[in-house]
Amino acid sequence: MSLNRHLYLIPLASISAISYATEYLSSEQAQKVLFPEADTFTAVPIQLTDEQKDQIKQLAGVRQRKSEVQIWRADKKGEVLGWMVLDEVVGKHEFITYSAALDPKGKVLGIEILNYRETHGGQVRDSKWRKQFVGKVLSDPFKLDKDVANISGATLSCRNVLDGVKRLLAMQKVVSFK
Amino acid sequence: MIAFRRMRPLLGTYVEVGTLTESNAIPPDFGSYFEIIEKVHSLLSFHDAKSDLSRLNGSNGQAVELHPLSIRVLKLAKAFSRASNGAFNPTVGGSLQKIGALPIHGKLNSLDFGDETDIYIYGNTAKLLRPIQVTLDGIAKGYAVDLAINLMRKSLSNGWVNAGGDLRAFGSVELPVQRRALSGEMESLGGLKEMAIASSLVRPAFDKHFPSWILSTSQAPVHKGVWSVLSKKAWRADALTKVLCTADPSEQTAILRRLGGVAI
Repeated sequence: MSLNRHLYLIPLASISAISYATEYLSSEQAQKVLFPEADTFTAVPIQLTDEQKDQIKQLAGVRQRKSEVQIWRADKKGEVLGWMVLDEVVGKHEFITYSAALDPKGKVLGIEILNYRETHGGQVRDSKWRKQFVGKVLSDPFKLDKDVANISGATLSCRNVLDGVKRLLAMQKVVSFK
Repeated sequence: MIAFRRMRPLLGTYVEVGTLTESNAIPPDFGSYFEIIEKVHSLLSFHDAKSDLSRLNGSNGQAVELHPLSIRVLKLAKAFSRASNGAFNPTVGGSLQKIGALPIHGKLNSLDFGDETDIYIYGNTAKLLRPIQVTLDGIAKGYAVDLAINLMRKSLSNGWVNAGGDLRAFGSVELPVQRRALSGEMESLGGLKEMAIASSLVRPAFDKHFPSWILSTSQAPVHKGVWSVLSKKAWRADALTKVLCTADPSEQTAILRRLGGVAI
């Protein structure tokens, strides 16, 4: 079948990193992506008390670790559209910084990953399959940076981020954002 | 060239959409690529009790009108099941519910599995001819990736989508791909260009913390490991991983070749 003749991966220069970090959006870019209609963003950080952290845990079932939380309010012509909250979660392999946009009624307007870092205990090794191609020349001029994580394998669950968002919604109930 | 990429939690995993551009500006309409993926998810999620798929599964044999996209994926699933002689089976929802890999909406009242002929489609309606539970997990994520790629092609010269390991690239971009083994060890596979790759993990035993599970409806054993397939389309690569892990090792290459994929 002719289709299969073209199904092979292109050999790459050896990749040795075992930790990846990808920055998707800066905090400022995320604000614009999550609230494209806003004309002003105002930093309104909060400092949570231990009591408030306990209340968040009770409401969300997930512990709020950090006391300092970075929040920006998005306004359009003086009207509050909502808030962007910056948060972090840790998974099995991954460490994620993300932003959630919440409206004044406590609805999630959007979630964007800002930073994704994945680490592994094991070495990166070349597959046997790949080795047969080592030494052949690449002709394509466009290549991504070598340490980019494009990983195929067991699908990682995004539950950590979704639990994080639940925690942020609880936070919004406990502390009214300004 | 600068890689512009965004990532959102979608399809139960992390979905990355990217492109190589000349400028620093955020390419327009980038959000729409995520929206089409979200659309497929909302229609075909087994977990969501209100999805098209759940309405069909809860229909007690009545005809149900579905979104054209849902009909399209059901047709693909049926055709691929036929082509693979049932090795890919979209009617195993009942079995997966029994072991706790899939949720039960309402009462569990299903055969362990059926076959593709139990799903009857005419026009924009579908009907289940026996009490089975359809699951499109083996194909819907890949299909969502393909739809996003089709949409990207309209306004971008190159790009890629990575939906939790189901990847497809188009245009000049050459995407370095690694495979994560069960141990966490990474393996370099090479560069992906104008192609899709999908991987499925078969764990040694069912683990409720990682409920994704593949089972065989024939006598064939399910081989443990991480199974990866290259194909032109992401839905096909996705579905073929399920065929691969149940195929007799001596026949894997030939079966995949016949169905339009290559195992790596």
